[in-house]
Amino acid sequence: MWKPFTRTLFWSLGIFLVINCNRDDDANSEDLNPAVNPTIPSHFPSPVYGFENNPLTKKGIALGKKLFYDPILSADGTVSCHSCHDQAFAFADRGVAFSTGINGKKGNRNTPGLANLIWYPAFNWDGGINHIEIQPVAPLTDSNEMGHNLKSLLKTLQNHPEYPGLFKAAFGSDSIYDQKLLFALTQFMATMVSHQSLYDRYLRGESSFTDKQLRGKNLFDNHCATCHSGVLQTDFSYRQNGLRANSEDLGRMTITNVFSDKGKFRVPSLRNVEKTAPYMHDGEIAQLTDVIEAYSTGIQAVFNLDPALPSGGFRFSATEKEDLLEFLRALTDTNFLENEAFQP
Amino acid sequence: MAFILPLTLIFLTSACKDDDDNGSQPTHGDLSIELDHGWGPSHAAFSLNQELTHPATQEKITFTKLRYYVSNIELTKADGEVWKEEESYRIATVGQSTSGVSMEIKDIPVGEYEAITFTIGVDAPRNTSGAQTGALSPSEGMFWSWTTGYIFIMAEGMSPDAPNGQFMYHVGGFEGSENAIRTTTLNFAGTNVNVNGTGKPKVKVKVNTARFWHGGISLNDINAIHMPGANAVVMADNFIGAFSFDGIEN
Repeated sequence: MWKPFTRTLFWSLGIFLVINCNRDDDANSEDLNPAVNPTIPSHFPSPVYGFENNPLTKKGIALGKKLFYDPILSADGTVSCHSCHDQAFAFADRGVAFSTGINGKKGNRNTPGLANLIWYPAFNWDGGINHIEIQPVAPLTDSNEMGHNLKSLLKTLQNHPEYPGLFKAAFGSDSIYDQKLLFALTQFMATMVSHQSLYDRYLRGESSFTDKQLRGKNLFDNHCATCHSGVLQTDFSYRQNGLRANSEDLGRMTITNVFSDKGKFRVPSLRNVEKTAPYMHDGEIAQLTDVIEAYSTGIQAVFNLDPALPSGGFRFSATEKEDLLEFLRALTDTNFLENEAFQP
Repeated sequence: MAFILPLTLIFLTSACKDDDDNGSQPTHGDLSIELDHGWGPSHAAFSLNQELTHPATQEKITFTKLRYYVSNIELTKADGEVWKEEESYRIATVGQSTSGVSMEIKDIPVGEYEAITFTIGVDAPRNTSGAQTGALSPSEGMFWSWTTGYIFIMAEGMSPDAPNGQFMYHVGGFEGSENAIRTTTLNFAGTNVNVNGTGKPKVKVKVNTARFWHGGISLNDINAIHMPGANAVVMADNFIGAFSFDGIEN
């Protein structure tokens, strides 16, 4: 019934009023807390994470980083995210199969590296977690990891001399509740984009590969890229690779309760794979050369062995193994491993 | 254009007030839903930490915890018009000392309503869209951290008839055949609830907590549910049948 102009005016006024009523709560305004554009490399697909509810800001990222390095997140104040996710190891743990949480307890799966998480449709080796914002709840509360109760943790943060002010600066309110804690951690994780390896520069036409690396890439494309596909080297599927056939871990079946998913795990990204030893869900394969050897001669004929994999193995020659290793080393992103923006 | 400025001033002076007491008839009002937990078809007294005998299975059952999500509340007027509450997520928690749970519903358009619809559980979008707030905060403890999703119903307790002396039903699941989200509509049997902005009407609902063991299911059949799946679906189907209309207090 209103004329369009009047209607527009009404809504404009409405917006004005909202701003007007909240004038004393403007810590989130652009000057004090500038927005930060997420890093979306030109040769990457669109990220899965949308940022609509949680736009990156300078102070949100800084708060997420402070939390990431702060052992206050664990029940006894001894374990931080960084305790098991070290930048020098591409945010995997430091060469150990299983990480140590509070009270010396150990987990039962190898700590994955953290990079390019905003492209992940699901998290953990079994894909049980469906959203980057929700992922931290698992390590925060798992008794083998940080073992905290979220309500106690939020209370501790609320009573802390610094955190209420930091949350206010980042999100406009000093009231700390779990969504804001998870938003802050997500903001920091979202900045962990690895996109400057030799492989990336090769893809963008900025660098060339040696003959060895090129031969390795061809081998990889022909034998590995069915699963380790695309610029992130994973299709995010769950597969049985036959390398850890005797593992008692049910893998994807833990989530789906479907027997054919027994022992299936997510195809991991191979970015910085040279730095994330040991390998597989249980960290039972020590070196990258051992992984190549296992795929060459150690693929066991499990009932649900992935059809893309030959029972027995790919039977790579000695030269082929060297070439593959050279290619995998080209996935190392030194800039990511040394970037000061990720450091406390 | 001359009317715009005075209009602006009127908006400015009124919009920041807390309520709209401008002297005219109220346009919105509140009501409460009273969940009265009872035991069996006879609605016998129910409380936590009290041993009860199941009317069908004869099993001895002592609840120590009963919590569940009540969400997406809708009220239907006689003419079929439906009002849907925004951000409609609550956890009903049976307390240690009282078996009743009261839920306040606010800012309902005034009118005569003849039915209520609600969901036991949490809709799929809120299970898949990241960190939520209020009753949906993971810190409320009704949330699986290892396989993302809300625990719609938590029923725990003891029974000498359960295989290990205990039962623990954590019911959830929002996808495909594991979908345990259940919705019910309770008609007010001709006695409309009158939301008029001044009174505080009550919708009284009976909840038969013996319904978990409905349809031949005993504690011996199912005594632990910790993930989505067929058993969770059985319990979701059973528990949605626990809710029945009891009466209106206008």
